[in-house]
Amino acid sequence: MRAPRLIAVAAVTGAFLLPLAWTGLAAVGVLPDDSTRPPSWTGPPTLDHIAEIGVAEPTFWQELATSTVAAIVAACLTVAVAIPSAFALARSRFRGGRTVTQGFLVLASLPVMAYVIPLADLSRRVHLIDTFAGVTLAEAAVTAPLAVFVLHGAVAQLPTEWEEAALIDGAGVLRILGRVVLPLIAPSVAATLVVMFVLDWNMLLVPLLLTSGEVKTVPVALSDFFTFERELDWPTAAAALMVSLAPLAVLVGVFHRVLERFVLQAPAGRDIG
Amino acid sequence: MRLTRRDRLLLFAPLVILLGGWLVVPALVGLTATLTTYTPLTTSVAFARWQNYSDVLHDPQFAEAVRNVAIFTLVAVPLELALGFGIAYLLRRPIRGRSWWRGLLLLPWLVSPIATGVMWHYLFSGATGVVNFVLGWLGRPELGSPIGDVRLALASTIAIEVWRVAPFVTFLVLPGLVAIPEERWEQATLAGTSWFQRIVKVALPEVAPLMLTVGMLLTGQSLGAFDTILILTGGGPGTATLTPALYSYDRAFVTNDWPAGAASAWLIAAGVAVVGAAYIRLSGRWSR
Repeated sequence: MRAPRLIAVAAVTGAFLLPLAWTGLAAVGVLPDDSTRPPSWTGPPTLDHIAEIGVAEPTFWQELATSTVAAIVAACLTVAVAIPSAFALARSRFRGGRTVTQGFLVLASLPVMAYVIPLADLSRRVHLIDTFAGVTLAEAAVTAPLAVFVLHGAVAQLPTEWEEAALIDGAGVLRILGRVVLPLIAPSVAATLVVMFVLDWNMLLVPLLLTSGEVKTVPVALSDFFTFERELDWPTAAAALMVSLAPLAVLVGVFHRVLERFVLQAPAGRDIG
Repeated sequence: MRLTRRDRLLLFAPLVILLGGWLVVPALVGLTATLTTYTPLTTSVAFARWQNYSDVLHDPQFAEAVRNVAIFTLVAVPLELALGFGIAYLLRRPIRGRSWWRGLLLLPWLVSPIATGVMWHYLFSGATGVVNFVLGWLGRPELGSPIGDVRLALASTIAIEVWRVAPFVTFLVLPGLVAIPEERWEQATLAGTSWFQRIVKVALPEVAPLMLTVGMLLTGQSLGAFDTILILTGGGPGTATLTPALYSYDRAFVTNDWPAGAASAWLIAAGVAVVGAAYIRLSGRWSR
């Protein structure tokens, strides 16, 4: 039973990764040659195409840095804001508390397009357009509902004895949150940070519509340097795709154990308290 | 522990400010604006009641967009859930290097929607693509790119979405499957149930609430399908892959019909709200 399952897993993984492998080969200059029958491969592998990204899009490396910093700031902001709310939500008993928590999931599934048009207009009016703060705050708001939902699940699973004990010792609520709850949910917090970073890194509409070129991230660059009027050659495009995927792949590789703690725990029907 | 009113106020304040300022207020201001003749460029504003919504709902292009996104969602979401669940089921019991397989399988989801569009544009095309390479090996003639074909364009965008999202479903569902106590499987095996019955009788009841939650997330995102299609087809050929989100974007920023763009975007939110209300009711019934 074990060997067939391993083969099945390998086959499925291979099928899903084939398009990425194809792109990866193109990025190092190994391309299909359809003119021969049967088709063959061309070229010795080369790293030249990675250098060519900078020729096609001179600010690409700058955009990579902007994306990284914006995603780090936005992910940290989201999680910092979500932790106290998730804690308060899990430790309050009020009518409809379950519905409020589920409401955060519905909010998390709301497409950005639903509210980004007036958001862009408002940002322009309060002069937050084209600013780093404007973009990161909007990105943080987009991902915050999902973070609240996941961290609520993590807090709700904790027994409350430690918190009660700290309360008897005279600790305030912020102290209890920081010293008692936070260390216990640290793995979930780390997993949430990683997923939020991925979501922020890949976000298109917020940086596209809240800036006019000053704060340019990689998805925005990809969207405008692949317009059909100005099409890049495939190896350079593939190299750009691989370079923009690499940081996420490394991040997930490093944190693959911790990511098991990213759990969508629906609130239970019983009272939580 | 019991939180006082003051505690709760303190703990919720940051989230209320962030979501209020960057989500709720813009959404409500947008709703108000779409009931008037407001555009970012006009100075005088008059009340227009439901005129903008009526215009959008009577636009045949918007009707096409709604039809497309309905097909897109109804096909893509069940496929993503089924495929994602199937892969998670394969990974349920420990196999050699499970966490590595899990990480590798997440790779398609890490590719941004926009990069996905760029990538498949080339993979489908003649000279560079993977499709014609395989056909060439089989000695078959080359095909044109399916994204340029009216009949295949929507199906192609669905296939690409399933490729990108199914691994994410696996990532979300696997913890739920792993958490099922081992006794449940043993009981089922001792009772002589087939592998299919084990899925239906043991696995599905346990992960059903989780699948419902994941399904909600996927449905909402499908209803707003935008990035990948923008790059891949721009909604074409014709209106074959037009979605409400592409329609909104086009109206608000390309044809400078801001009220129509904002109004149709609000209709996406209304669609998600309807699905969301059904989700909350259904999940409440299941957890009781």
